Amino acid sequence: MTSYRFRPHRRAVLQGATAAAALLAAPAIVRAQAGTIRLGTLTPLTGAGGSYGPSMRDAVALVVKDVNAAGGVGGQKIDLISEDDQTNPEAGVRAAHKLIDVDKVSAIIGTWASSVTTAVAPLCWESKTALFTVSGADSITALPHQGFIFRTQPNSQLQVHEASKFMLGEGGRKLAYIGPQTPFAQSSIDIMTAEAKKGGQGVDSLIYENNKTSYRSEVDKILQGNPDWLLLGGYTPDTIILLKDLYKAGYKGKMLGFAYAVNAKLLEALPKEVTEGIYTFEPSPAIGSAAHGHLLKMLGKSDVDPYTAQCYDHINLAVLAMAKAKATSGQAIHDSVRLISQGGGKEVSDAVTGLKAVAAGEKIDYSGASGPCDFLPSGDISGTKFRFDQVKDGKFVTKKIT
Amino acid sequence: MLGEFPQLLVNGLVAGILIAVPAIGFTTIYAVLRFPNFAVASHVTIGAFAGYAVNVYLGWPVALALVAAFLAAGVVGAVTDEWVLKPMRPHGALTAAIAAIALTVVLENMIRFGFGNDLRGYDLPIFRDWRFGPVRVGPQQLENAGLAVLIMALVFGFLAFTRAGKAMRAVADNPTLAAIKGIDPDRIGRSASFVGMGLAGVGGVLLGLDTSIDPLTGFRAVLTVFAAAVVGGLGSIPGAVVGALVVGIGEELSLLAVAPTYRSAIGFVAILVVLTLRPRGLLGERAY
Repeated sequence: MTSYRFRPHRRAVLQGATAAAALLAAPAIVRAQAGTIRLGTLTPLTGAGGSYGPSMRDAVALVVKDVNAAGGVGGQKIDLISEDDQTNPEAGVRAAHKLIDVDKVSAIIGTWASSVTTAVAPLCWESKTALFTVSGADSITALPHQGFIFRTQPNSQLQVHEASKFMLGEGGRKLAYIGPQTPFAQSSIDIMTAEAKKGGQGVDSLIYENNKTSYRSEVDKILQGNPDWLLLGGYTPDTIILLKDLYKAGYKGKMLGFAYAVNAKLLEALPKEVTEGIYTFEPSPAIGSAAHGHLLKMLGKSDVDPYTAQCYDHINLAVLAMAKAKATSGQAIHDSVRLISQGGGKEVSDAVTGLKAVAAGEKIDYSGASGPCDFLPSGDISGTKFRFDQVKDGKFVTKKIT
Repeated sequence: MLGEFPQLLVNGLVAGILIAVPAIGFTTIYAVLRFPNFAVASHVTIGAFAGYAVNVYLGWPVALALVAAFLAAGVVGAVTDEWVLKPMRPHGALTAAIAAIALTVVLENMIRFGFGNDLRGYDLPIFRDWRFGPVRVGPQQLENAGLAVLIMALVFGFLAFTRAGKAMRAVADNPTLAAIKGIDPDRIGRSASFVGMGLAGVGGVLLGLDTSIDPLTGFRAVLTVFAAAVVGGLGSIPGAVVGALVVGIGEELSLLAVAPTYRSAIGFVAILVVLTLRPRGLLGERAY
């Protein structure tokens, strides 16, 4: 009967397995307690957003370097892990899984494309990881994110509203929208129509199929209504083809495009006579603000795109929120961002100064490089500026800031 | 609404003529090797980039860019067929077709590795269109269509009058009889891959001249190319031309009735209608 004594009971096996699992997990727990705060960037280093992602990541890394040099957050150093979302939801989800499950980051910073942010967001709120994003689609903050999404980019509704006002203000008498099938195409047309209706004007619109090699017939169709202002709703690749076809068709009216589509790459790909006079618009960084100046100095540049400015704000907000909460989890960031970003107090424009003030027990109000960074309960920001540029001789010239 | 008709017809005609070139390539390979070689997608792209390289980096004119595209895509097509697709063919047409899709993904990403994801445009001036009453036509469009017609004439001449062309038609018509007559099917298979993929490459340049190119240029065109070949009758070279014109004009005229977002669906609808009513295609399967 000796064999009976050695027969493993199911309960004993379970207990043993639990103990073993705990032992295996121990180093991670020990590591997390002992040392560092882990934060992740998930920016598009390749793909359609590839021209923005690297500098977004660099801005975050430079702030982290400064914070670590100044002693970290509550004595803990920050360990920054950077991944590439490839401007692709699938790759974005893979990278987010790695950041959340393996690296155990408290916050993910910098998702750019709306499709990527939409795909990554559920992973973040399920794991109580804060998500800072620069995506514009209206639907993002309507997700059941329980307060884990912080968006510094004005949503597309606000953007198109501003664009319509600009075109009408510049004397537009017959506006038209032409763009590919996107989540914001129809809502953009509706907003434009409502805005133009106030002056008794109608709006023509055409939604085309993405990834076509020519838009000749589409151009013929939209030009039948003789518009004097076109809002270009596409991304860079299709807008290049569209602009060529508009030029060939002899369109002489004005055009306004989103700055993320009508960008330096587009100007490079097209002859000057095709792009001359096109207007572009984007949320304007808070040019002239202390945070903007500090960011430029850090980067050693004379100009910065809005997404890099927003990422600079993201990392500052995350760091100051953790300091305020005296805790480093995603939940702590979730709870404390609004305590340091709004509601009055000492105005702060960089993390190191802010950390000192928080340590001294002062109430702070962070004002960033992209704007005042005041968040609504939905996770959207309130109040932002827009910058309108015009292409002159193959270069962007600032027309006005509203 | 009918006022748009002439313009859409012209646009469709030009689009169809351009698509006909890679469609001939696709159907030639099908006629000889009896499988749908979806690797045309990447070869359209390879041709487009080869043409781009000699046009922009070396400053050669369009005619030479077409020659470079033909050679580059043709050589890659013949080599990859020999190494990758030929060993698959004994396992059936479906196996070879799936291998061709895999091959196209690999080749496309090799292009991406070398040239990156950015859009590129050929080094050509852009002109305003000419207007003839209600119809406008671009000088570049006319030049492209002229070049496409010239290339098609060369292909028909090759098949009708040269020894290699006749041998190719013989294998396509009846491989067993051709083999009995002493025609080496392997050699003909290699030349079919070379010519077919070369034409796909030429098609890439023709499509890119008027627009712009990127690693997905061929992938975007492949459905229309496939639809053209099926509509005309898989394996029939005049059929590919007819099919391309039908699909090209159909896609444009569809704008009269349906929203532009559904333009690509016309290719599918054309395949569906033809396979239902006339499964062998408009001109049947005869190669020539």
